Amino acid sequence: MSGSRSTLRAWLLLLPLLIIMTTVIGWPLADTIRLSFTDARLVGTSGEWVGIGNYAAMLSSSRFWSTLATTMWFAVASVSLEMIIGVLAALLVNQSFYGRTLLRALLILPWALPTVVNASLWRLIYNPQYGALNAMLTQLGLADEYQSWLGEPSSALAALIIADTWKNFPLVALIALAALQAVPKEIRAASMVDGAGPIARFRYVVLPYLAGPLMVALVLRTIEAFKVFDIVWVMTRGGPANTTRTLSILVYQEAFSFQRAGAGASLALIIALIVTVLSTVYAVMIRKAAGSAK
Amino acid sequence: MSELTIRNIRKSFGAVEILKGIDITLADGDFLVLLGASGCGKSTLLNLVAGLAEPTEGDILIDGRSVVGTAPRDRDIAMVFQSYALYPNLTVERNVGFSLEMRGVEKAVRRELVMEAARLLKIEGLLKRKPSQLSGGQRQRVAIGRALVRQPKVFLFDEPLSNLDAKLRMEMRAELKRLHKMLKATVVYVTHDQIEAMTLATKVALMRDGHVEQLGTPSEIYNRPATRYVAEFVGAPPMNILPARIAGGKIVVENADVPLASAKTSALSADGDKLSIGIRPEAVSYAGNGGEAKLWLETEIAELTGPELQVTGTIHGHRFVAALPPTTEIVQGTTVPLGFEAEALHMFGSDGRRLPDETVS
Repeated sequence: MSGSRSTLRAWLLLLPLLIIMTTVIGWPLADTIRLSFTDARLVGTSGEWVGIGNYAAMLSSSRFWSTLATTMWFAVASVSLEMIIGVLAALLVNQSFYGRTLLRALLILPWALPTVVNASLWRLIYNPQYGALNAMLTQLGLADEYQSWLGEPSSALAALIIADTWKNFPLVALIALAALQAVPKEIRAASMVDGAGPIARFRYVVLPYLAGPLMVALVLRTIEAFKVFDIVWVMTRGGPANTTRTLSILVYQEAFSFQRAGAGASLALIIALIVTVLSTVYAVMIRKAAGSAK
Repeated sequence: MSELTIRNIRKSFGAVEILKGIDITLADGDFLVLLGASGCGKSTLLNLVAGLAEPTEGDILIDGRSVVGTAPRDRDIAMVFQSYALYPNLTVERNVGFSLEMRGVEKAVRRELVMEAARLLKIEGLLKRKPSQLSGGQRQRVAIGRALVRQPKVFLFDEPLSNLDAKLRMEMRAELKRLHKMLKATVVYVTHDQIEAMTLATKVALMRDGHVEQLGTPSEIYNRPATRYVAEFVGAPPMNILPARIAGGKIVVENADVPLASAKTSALSADGDKLSIGIRPEAVSYAGNGGEAKLWLETEIAELTGPELQVTGTIHGHRFVAALPPTTEIVQGTTVPLGFEAEALHMFGSDGRRLPDETVS
């Protein structure tokens, strides 16, 4: 009796949220799924049912596979760099030195900037006529002439990865710093007395405490990197020669530039599926890591 | 297994001086207990010996070689911490052998030494486990094993038994005593537990506010406390302190009319001089059956603790506790005659220092 009554009350209390969720997430999602099975265009026809035609076309196009490769390369490279630089930065600001608090505050700055601002900033740095990077390289004698970093197919993706890393390593650093402060002082002292050098100390004393939180950072950053759109759009719009076109850019091009709403929807759902698989794998890994740390 | 010399050690953090000139010399095989209340600087001193901090002034020598400025790993010391400080993701075997591993000792040799330490501590059965799978007592054994395995010159213990429950603490105390007897190692041991200090130490340094109040054997600390602070710190219940003055070459407890029987002072003190006298609760005896009564205790509460009957009351208006045999019959609220031996009377001047013993006759 009381069990069913309290269940009813729970549902009643959740109802407003459910309605909102259904309206703003559920319905668009259902509509996207429906759309992905049609040849609907953004303007004009509401589309004919084409079954899995959009998916088949997308998965058999070289465009999709090269874009997937670009996205994966971007995600793997930027997330790896962010993790390494983030942990190193955290180790640095975890030392006690004069001005540490100021440095910790400054560290968060890149992450606090809106992505659009960050992207514009790096466009200025990479600028082929008056960019700071070109100036620095030529003044140091490392380059003979100014380069168009974002204009060359060979360097554009790397330039994007650097910009994204600069923006996002502070998040990893913050998470790592919090974890570092949880390392017991006595274990650190014990390892020093036992004769562990800096590398052994990191491996046996710090890493066990760092692993769990870093895993969370890794999940967050990978999923975000996989869905990346804004920084690419502002800096290169997927060019030159589609060398920086990521999956989200491709969705945008399909749905809005080429106005193929159906094809765009199918691609969006493919990305959603990939991200879901990724996060499931990560969730299992985190559970395993948490189990072994106990 | 070696000598340790601590010479005029001072340590300041900013403007705050934590250690104010410490001098201690330990012979080979000495077991030094640094005893004191929280904040007296005992752990800081231990960290200085370990090399986890550097002194502001002074020198520390191990076997005659100064170790100030040397990294902890190069001091040939081993340390056991209160929180055990085991490496969470290494097995017991690797935890115990960690310092050997870090020094590049061959695996077979390492195994041998770890097994030996494990046998000593009776943890052979735990070697494959992780620290999280051990109880508090087992963890502490592993931590001690980790210190033993390298046979260092000096062992350092930082309140190693404080996290254990009372029964386990007693067991581990006996275990430490046994190990020390067997290994004859030089040990510095920090604790605020006076029972640990009394039972384990060959030497006790009782610290207060950054200096050593008294350095001596447990017996010296208990039987001849150098200051009133030491007298009151060691002993449970603590030593009774009564304010007194000199009159006619004899000691008169404040508020009392007649001098304390058999307590005289020499010419060191003049009439009217103030002093404190101290008598341990366990040093008085019930003088009701024809014994010589020297003090009359107006009883308030009598509590049977098991081994003794603790009687609390006042003597000439001053609080006094007597620990009597458990079979003593006391009617609460009555006045009880108490006796004590002449050497049980401690005297402290108004500066808190012990007065020379020849003042007692």
